Amino acid sequence: MTVLITKTAAETALLADFKARGAELPGAGAVAVARDAAMSVFERQGLPHRRIETWKYTDLRNVLTQFAPIATRDDAPVSLADVNAALGPLASLDADRVVFVNGSYRPELSTAKPHTPIATLGASFRAGKGAETPTLGADEAVVALNTALATDGATVEIKANTKLDKPVLVVHLAAGASAKFTSLRHNFSAGVGATGTIIEVYAATAGAAHTQSNTVLSLNASAGASLTHILVTHPGAATTHLQTIAANLGREATLKSFQFTADTQLVRNQTFVRFDGEHAKLDISGIMLGRGREHIDTTLVIDHAVPGCESRELFKTVLDDSARAVFQGKVIVRPDAQKTDGKQMANALMLSEACEFDSKPELEIYADDVVCGHGATVAEIDPAQMFYLRSRGIPEDQSRAMLIESFAADALEKIDNDAIRDALGQLATNWFNARRSQAATPSRDASHIPG
Amino acid sequence: MLEIKNLHARIADGGAEILKGITLTVPKGEVHAIMGPNGSGKSTLAYVLAGRKDYEITDGDILWNGESIVEMSPDERAAAGVFLAFQYPMEIPGVMTMTFLRTSVNATRKKRGQAELTTPEFMKVARAAAAKLGVKDDMLKRALNVGFSGGEKKRMEVLQMALLEPTLCVLDETDSGLDIDAIRIVSEGANALRGPDKAFLVITHYQRLLNYITPDKVHVLAHGRIQKTGGKELALELEKSGYAAFTGKAA
Repeated sequence: MTVLITKTAAETALLADFKARGAELPGAGAVAVARDAAMSVFERQGLPHRRIETWKYTDLRNVLTQFAPIATRDDAPVSLADVNAALGPLASLDADRVVFVNGSYRPELSTAKPHTPIATLGASFRAGKGAETPTLGADEAVVALNTALATDGATVEIKANTKLDKPVLVVHLAAGASAKFTSLRHNFSAGVGATGTIIEVYAATAGAAHTQSNTVLSLNASAGASLTHILVTHPGAATTHLQTIAANLGREATLKSFQFTADTQLVRNQTFVRFDGEHAKLDISGIMLGRGREHIDTTLVIDHAVPGCESRELFKTVLDDSARAVFQGKVIVRPDAQKTDGKQMANALMLSEACEFDSKPELEIYADDVVCGHGATVAEIDPAQMFYLRSRGIPEDQSRAMLIESFAADALEKIDNDAIRDALGQLATNWFNARRSQAATPSRDASHIPG
Repeated sequence: MLEIKNLHARIADGGAEILKGITLTVPKGEVHAIMGPNGSGKSTLAYVLAGRKDYEITDGDILWNGESIVEMSPDERAAAGVFLAFQYPMEIPGVMTMTFLRTSVNATRKKRGQAELTTPEFMKVARAAAAKLGVKDDMLKRALNVGFSGGEKKRMEVLQMALLEPTLCVLDETDSGLDIDAIRIVSEGANALRGPDKAFLVITHYQRLLNYITPDKVHVLAHGRIQKTGGKELALELEKSGYAAFTGKAA
């Protein structure tokens, strides 16, 4: 049944913008046809809204009241120093960089060496190729929107039985004073027996306008591959970021994914994972840090389609002020997927009384010989732990920061690479410290956290 | 000198009164023991001295070196030299013990107007102090108190006491949950810190700990008040006669 909904002003404006300027998007022939078809799908579906079960807590139709102009080609003046400043602690990572600014690949800011198996999608589009949409999450309106509007993206293909000698850092920067709605389409894959780490970062240069971005990422780990994916969303501006990840795991493949989110006004990270081959392993974890009126939604759909696979999920959320976070973790175990081993844990630490955490574990188990578990906790800072630290001479704000860090620590520990873990740890610490400096004046919550 | 004057304290937000007029003086260089039955207010007294907010002082005062500490926060008291060795030390997952110790020592030094120690300087001091207490290097690398045995936790408390250089040491049932060997090690650690400028308040149920840490005076606490004060022989008497003589008495 299709319910006809009146288009919102934002949707109407976006459709008009596409009609007027769609031709500026790269690609002709098949790509242009795919764009038009996808936009028709979006036109029918509209933005996801609360009556769609999986979007219940993130009513995009209601929240996204305005679309910025569609990003097409962009050459905003951005220097290497700007990139490094926006990357913060991640700038010092020894990695091959692929940099996009406002949705366009910027070779002069990228350092990827010829040996790194990287291509950019803009070029494919211009050659009339690359408009294929991943199967997982294909019915999502935001994916259709991405197919219609994607300007560029990175294709990182780790060849069979090879190992990336250093991580690939795929950076997207929002820059410039005029707001844009950018759409990237990334494809990261590890061939049979291949190993590598790909870091995907969303950041913004100082003074960048409120940007909106909508990324679709395909992750593919072939048989025996070991792929690590780190997603960092910290634009440090009033920004909206939507991301759909479609991940497929082959036989005995391992996918480790870590998602760090902070300093973003509105985030929806939805990850669809499907086990296609037996004895594959997924370890997905993350930290969500929200304050002000930020809204962070992490949605996972893990599909154990074949027997003998293992999934681990650990998400840590720290919320302050009136921030809201959503964790939805759906695990499907198909009738054939015996010996599935799935564990899910979502923990939230609430630093204020006005914040909100919505946690929705959802296990759909059709096989009988499986081990699946889930847990969710919501807590405040433990006053007894606070007293203990303060009795050792550690001032109140520092004690609290230590306990917040300690809360997030076991998720960070999931990152194997020391340099990446340290950099993300530093990002988290910066977030906690910003809170401390705000709290230097008597804080509104000092009265109700004893200690 | 620690002077507790007519101290009344109750559970915060109008709860039951637990300390009902404690008056007690511990001069520098002395070790005083507080003994008493369960529920007599021993641990409450320890927490009130360290500044735990779950209790509120309704009357009386606590002076340390002539200055009232009741308005001070727990960290300010630590800087002023007050140290409480917890009966049940808290486990803090995700905070490495060495990091915690360094943060604690440097925060305290900073407040005392002393130079903070660099990481290598601190490591040297901490390792030396740890070795004396039989605290293994491995423990310093683990999360604070997480997975430590009862004995290891108490040793960690004494290690913190050694590193923070307090002048008023309050030991809250440091012997509870310890075997004889652990009591000996922990007591030796505490004894090593005794000195002419330090006052000790040792809270215990049993006389046993006082075999290792010899007190100058023993106070019997029951019903929230000091019921009797004597020399170290009072502890031996109590061991024989029990607390019946005090628990029967109405407050």
